[in-house]
Amino acid sequence: MAEYWHIVPEFDSRLQEFRNSNPEADVVLEFEIAEKDFVNSGKGSAEVKNLLKRLGVDPDTLRRIAVASYEAEINVTAHSKGGKMVSSIYDEMIHIAFRDKGPGIGDIDQAMVPGFSTADDLVREMGFGAGLGLPNIKKNSDIMHIVSERGSSTLLEIFIFYS
Amino acid sequence: MNNKDQKYFHALQILADNCTGCTACVRVCPTEAIRIRNRKATIDANRCIDCGNCVEACQFHAIIPRSDGLDIIRNFHYKVAIISSSYAGQFSEDIPYSVAKQALYELGFDEVAEEAMVTDFVIRMIRDYVRQNKHIRPILSSSCPAVVRLIQVKFPSLLPNVLHQEAPMSILTRYIRERIQEEKGLVESDIGIFLIVPCVAHVTAVHQPEGTYKHLQDGAFSMGMIYGKVKEHIKKIQNNPLPIKTYEKGLTWALSGVEADMIDCEDIRALSVNGVENVMEVLSRVEDHYLDQYDYIVLRSCTNGCVGGCLNIENPFVAMSRVKKLIKEASEPDSITEQLTDLYKEGEFKVAPLAPRSIMELDKDIKNAIKKMKQINEFLIMLPGLNCSACGSPTCYALAEDIVQGRASIDDCVVLLKRHAKED
Repeated sequence: MAEYWHIVPEFDSRLQEFRNSNPEADVVLEFEIAEKDFVNSGKGSAEVKNLLKRLGVDPDTLRRIAVASYEAEINVTAHSKGGKMVSSIYDEMIHIAFRDKGPGIGDIDQAMVPGFSTADDLVREMGFGAGLGLPNIKKNSDIMHIVSERGSSTLLEIFIFYS
Repeated sequence: MNNKDQKYFHALQILADNCTGCTACVRVCPTEAIRIRNRKATIDANRCIDCGNCVEACQFHAIIPRSDGLDIIRNFHYKVAIISSSYAGQFSEDIPYSVAKQALYELGFDEVAEEAMVTDFVIRMIRDYVRQNKHIRPILSSSCPAVVRLIQVKFPSLLPNVLHQEAPMSILTRYIRERIQEEKGLVESDIGIFLIVPCVAHVTAVHQPEGTYKHLQDGAFSMGMIYGKVKEHIKKIQNNPLPIKTYEKGLTWALSGVEADMIDCEDIRALSVNGVENVMEVLSRVEDHYLDQYDYIVLRSCTNGCVGGCLNIENPFVAMSRVKKLIKEASEPDSITEQLTDLYKEGEFKVAPLAPRSIMELDKDIKNAIKKMKQINEFLIMLPGLNCSACGSPTCYALAEDIVQGRASIDDCVVLLKRHAKED
């Protein structure tokens, strides 16, 4: 099993705090992501975005969440056998978990290199698969966590704090 | 036309006597600004963007576009009409465009100018702006007032992307006012400049412009309102037309697709989007940084652009075809591009940074907003999820929100009421 962490240093203690207290989310949104369903892919992150607008999350943070969650949703659509997006909303941050049904990321460090892609022809024809997904998620997240195993499922977690 | 006590002016009026409470308007409003309460439609002035969807949806003439009465031009010594480019598409092809323009002099105007006169300059100005603001992508067009208000209301994070320069008819207004003062030795208040407009949003923009620093127009007349009188004059003058100069080449402005084609060039990639639903979808993609490959996006709330305005007479596609024909057959017009470029360099067309009109937040405080969101979800589970609008709110979600915000009650749901009646 491989694991990858990206933590913006100032959020390290808040992550520890979160893991220790394991607070219950105020609002939870769940969204099923079907394999290669590009028609509906993006709807989950759009729903999250609209909800956060209603909560009055500031525009810059909102756009970072929108980009990271959209990219991650497209990733599950394009590269996995489908999965689930669970967005947990708290009053100071959002935690989004993408759990798919495989086939797992072979080499996470390689997948984090901008431009590296394993996308097949169908995905590229749809205009995706430029190899910028994971790097883009990293760029827009305060904390990013990947747990994966080749031949098994992948869990991608994103934490973004409102400013 | 005054209701200055309200924060936001809207060029719409509800005639309560005509309103049947049918909810047709409620269902087509892109910002969910309309509710039926006590069997009558009400518009939330903070949410309305003046797109005109409700005017077109209402079959009972209960939502009426407002514009100024033509007699207000008599308050001015020198009267100028500026016609929207879509005007040219409203007449059958046996009526030459110059005759349709001449008819406006007959209405009492001393001068008739065309939005089309500034198209050449505006294309150059937009290209210059796009090149000078390379750090912002994409730049979003600002000439459609409904789109500007839509961004203020629903996409405030995109306000910095909006082209911060005056729209074509306002640019022309600035130029004409200055020119006439010089030429005729008149003071500013002697000159009345009026727009002939295809849509509600333009009437609103004349009465409550966004971000503008200058005195612009003195009134706006609806295309539909003056059409009858114009047709009468056309009949009279058709056999003895005067040689009147026209600017067909610039009529491209009436068509959102053609505008984008003209701005598109080697280093500027332009996209054209029209129809308010499409505009909202694309703005959401822009928010996700998914359309950053475009340098400029033309956004128009009406179908095909201004030819689709709800105050127009002709179908948007027929009008578009006519305008295209005029453009194709046109000769090179006189240009005022040079004079306008000088004014542009002096910063005459700048506008103030646009401010958001935040309607989306459930509460100023995020903790309270979350509380309300939870309550909304609790009500949502109780509601039937039919989105039938019979309660007067557009969707079950909107009703749940209205209940939480104290603007409605769960008893407003007709479906639940029926279910409960059966159980009793």
